[in-house]
Amino acid sequence: MTHSPLFISRRRFLGAGASAVVLGAAGEGLSFGMMPSLARAAAETQKANDRILVVLELSGANDGLNTLVPYADDAYYKLRPHIGIPQKKLIKLDDHFGLSGGMKGFEQLFKDGKLAVVHGCGYDQPNFSHFTSMVYWQTAAPNSGQALGWVGRLADNMRPEGGANLIVNIDDSQSLAVNSSRHTPVVFNDPERFMRKGDAVTRPEFQHVEDSGTAQNASQKFLTGVAISARDASTQVREAWTGYKTPVDYGIIPLGLNKVAALIAANMPTRFYYTSYPHNAFDTHVHQGDTHARQLTYVSDAVAAFLRDMERIGRGDDVSVLIFSEFGRRAAENTSLGTDHGTANLMFVAGKSVKGGHFGTPSSLTALMPDGNLQYTVDFRRVYATMIEGWLQHKDSAAVLRDKFETFPIFT
Amino acid sequence: MRLMPPAHFKFLIKSLAVTAALLCSINGALAAETCSGGADWAGDLTPISKTGWNPARAAHLIERAGFGETPEGIAALSQRDPAQLVHDLVAPANVDNSQLTAFDESGIFDPSLDPFPATRPAATDLAKEKGEALGVKIKPAGNRRLQPVVDRFFYWLRASRLETQRLGNWWANRMLTTNRPLEEKMALFWHGHFANSEDKVRDYRKMLKQVQLFQSKGLGDFRDLLIGVAQDPAMLRYLDAGVNVKGAPNENFAREIMELFTMGPGNYTEPDIREGARAFTGWNFDGIKFVVNAERHDASEKSFLGQRGNFDGVQVIDIILKQPVTAEFVAQKIYRFFVRDDISPELRKKLGDVLRNNKYQIAPLLETIFLSRDFYAAASCGTHIKSPVELVVSTYKKLGLRILPGVPDFYETTTALGQILFWPPTVAGWAQGRSWMTPALLIERGNFARDVVFPDVGFVPHDRNPGRLFDILQVSEKLARGLDITSATMPDDKDKDTMAASTMNADRDEEFNTHYGSYRGWQMALERVKPLPRHTASLDLTKLVLSSKSPVKTPADVVDVLVDRMFAVPPSPATRERLAQFLEKEIGTKDIAAAQSYMEESLRSLLHVILSQPEYQLG
Repeated sequence: MTHSPLFISRRRFLGAGASAVVLGAAGEGLSFGMMPSLARAAAETQKANDRILVVLELSGANDGLNTLVPYADDAYYKLRPHIGIPQKKLIKLDDHFGLSGGMKGFEQLFKDGKLAVVHGCGYDQPNFSHFTSMVYWQTAAPNSGQALGWVGRLADNMRPEGGANLIVNIDDSQSLAVNSSRHTPVVFNDPERFMRKGDAVTRPEFQHVEDSGTAQNASQKFLTGVAISARDASTQVREAWTGYKTPVDYGIIPLGLNKVAALIAANMPTRFYYTSYPHNAFDTHVHQGDTHARQLTYVSDAVAAFLRDMERIGRGDDVSVLIFSEFGRRAAENTSLGTDHGTANLMFVAGKSVKGGHFGTPSSLTALMPDGNLQYTVDFRRVYATMIEGWLQHKDSAAVLRDKFETFPIFT
Repeated sequence: MRLMPPAHFKFLIKSLAVTAALLCSINGALAAETCSGGADWAGDLTPISKTGWNPARAAHLIERAGFGETPEGIAALSQRDPAQLVHDLVAPANVDNSQLTAFDESGIFDPSLDPFPATRPAATDLAKEKGEALGVKIKPAGNRRLQPVVDRFFYWLRASRLETQRLGNWWANRMLTTNRPLEEKMALFWHGHFANSEDKVRDYRKMLKQVQLFQSKGLGDFRDLLIGVAQDPAMLRYLDAGVNVKGAPNENFAREIMELFTMGPGNYTEPDIREGARAFTGWNFDGIKFVVNAERHDASEKSFLGQRGNFDGVQVIDIILKQPVTAEFVAQKIYRFFVRDDISPELRKKLGDVLRNNKYQIAPLLETIFLSRDFYAAASCGTHIKSPVELVVSTYKKLGLRILPGVPDFYETTTALGQILFWPPTVAGWAQGRSWMTPALLIERGNFARDVVFPDVGFVPHDRNPGRLFDILQVSEKLARGLDITSATMPDDKDKDTMAASTMNADRDEEFNTHYGSYRGWQMALERVKPLPRHTASLDLTKLVLSSKSPVKTPADVVDVLVDRMFAVPPSPATRERLAQFLEKEIGTKDIAAAQSYMEESLRSLLHVILSQPEYQLG
């Protein structure tokens, strides 16, 4: 273990952090020049059990029907006479489905067999609140209570011994999905700001973090843990970001995937990355056409760019991306040229190791539920189980998901 | 080597000097000087006694019910009768606040901007249909005939955004300088409870009107407030009231009023949401006025929460207020904001009863909470993770500042810390508690402290300089070099083969150019939005330290003075020891008197380190 590249890389990080204190910016620049070759060397020794899961959350309930349009189904245009996307504006994937017009990145991934679409994902007794349903998806516990997230529990289950930097969450605040009992997720949004300001005199003072044993209350104890993580992770993240240069264009909104790429390129020992299209952006109740299409373009651009970038640094085989939303939208359009909260939705899995194509069963557009919603056909936790067992090769998905779920043959 | 926190230590010395007899009751004496009371106080709503009132409790109260105080302020509060003091906080009508000034509007609005189209495409579609939009006519001929309409669209987006940032500054300054701190703190609570964002409202006037509603009614009758919010233009806009019409109800508001504002999930059904939405049909706004469009109101019968009738919105609100769960839901949310996160089902019920028995008056509930033993239990004292706005305002308050600094910029600071006034992340508001804290955010909090004591000499005011926003600076520079609009707005350094679809789409339309509109919009906004004042924090730490009531002779004394002033939960003796050593090394002596003339910079470094401690995040 002590000879693994990860260990060397970690030590090198710590060393670089220390030298940066002394040498300042010049010292930092010197140490980064070596990074890409080191990353490649490390990549060669990657094992199957170093596979990385990237989760991309589309918050606000993405309209799956206008993402991958069942254009051959007349019912679609009947349900959506005004906001249904005409065939000529679609990127047709086959004789039934077409992507929203700007999703060229997804088109290419699908053609290359690197994009799996799972249809009809949902759960029993659907909840129509963003917040509640998102909690269900983040905890993988619909209509139930769970303080820990499914990614956090997965980390606990795969690495009960704990360890630094196993989970990274690109966000302003920590997602429930990564709440873990044994790991402190590294949470940041802007790597350039993930750094203490301070002159040479004050800097050493920040290395001291009090022992949590002296804490007077639980909040103080919690803060001590955060302070230790801040001290240890910030240097690594910042150096990874500064050392990362890519010719790949992630588009207008990279959705944090460029930051994920930087950390992977720098050989962080992270196995779980969680990022999102934040702030309920997909909550398209009103005049959704342009806004929704634009947002999908951003998603498609960013995901395709990320996988291209992984390929570029020789890590394409190590990464898969899971994309989800807390629910879909009502099958019929509303009168405001938008859509209201719905139920079943698409999930996407993308990556070089993915066997692309359609999985699951699309919800019928004619046999709707009494409230006009799509009837789900696939429990979304089947896709989680697929990621856990099929991708991460962790056989005990039932311990994480609290139940056994049938997997899809997305990874062969 | 100090073995106990200095406040206790000093008290012990004092006691010894006065009489040895006190030694016998030292545990009791210590308890009387700390915030936390008996172990069994948690969950107990019995009012604390006058005799138990002390500076630590006064500091705790004003930290939670306000934004902290200076040591002098706390000393004064600790001299007052706690019942009287709390009464003045929760019912401040008689407290003079005439020093506050109204928000100084820049004057960016004119009536042709109303109603403002929801999106840029909606604006250009309107212009194509009517020949004009936003008070601007389409050019009859020439290139980019719709450009002036697009420019004007972006003008208002930028101007309202910048003006809303000024509004945030005004509010924060009010929090800092008010004589009625709970009025502002409660308004901050309601802003997170009825969370609307300028991102969707896109009209600073509506945001101003809403915060004024929270300030004026936040301590009053919850029914009044709830009706006020349901008829508030910002809320109506934010939750799509305009499209909630007879025959086509939009469920957004009806869902959130029950899920987030009054009852919480699990206490109503989906049909209740649909029927409730019908009751609110026709409610809308016109500019900053509430209007009811009678033709669009569905006056027919509804079945809502088990009752039937031709309900309108107010009647639906009254039915909601009759649900037993409503008072409990609202009371527990207030409790968790002001006291602590964990609340037992029994306490939740008791607080709900207090609110219900007081006919939904907020002040008596707060009075009960702030006087209760529970509020001064160990589980409550120093366990609250300060929100970013609390952190920033209380830091200034405790340092004795009398005006909000312009450097560091309040909007940028709170953006980095994760809580922007008038921009809550979603309609659920901010999650509070531990969610305020991540490794990156803890670092940002320390960086904020540094920006206060060592203001950035390269500060660029974001309200004057668009920075990286939509490449506005590059467009501006290229236009000045004589490039045509298409060339000036073309993205740089992009290889077409790898260019993302979204980048290529940016400049396709020939009727107008959105990048150019973005540039012009900024320029026009800049001409009208008043600049923010950019003074730095006026600090004299040397004077602040030396004017302390306790004698300040050594670096350890300085650390004690600063920690006592700023902290609810002090760092450990070992940390204090280290901090004292740090200061001693910096000033080159143990003798503070000798270092007086040059120690300011060292004191600032020390304060930066002190305020970066994890314990400083607790209030």
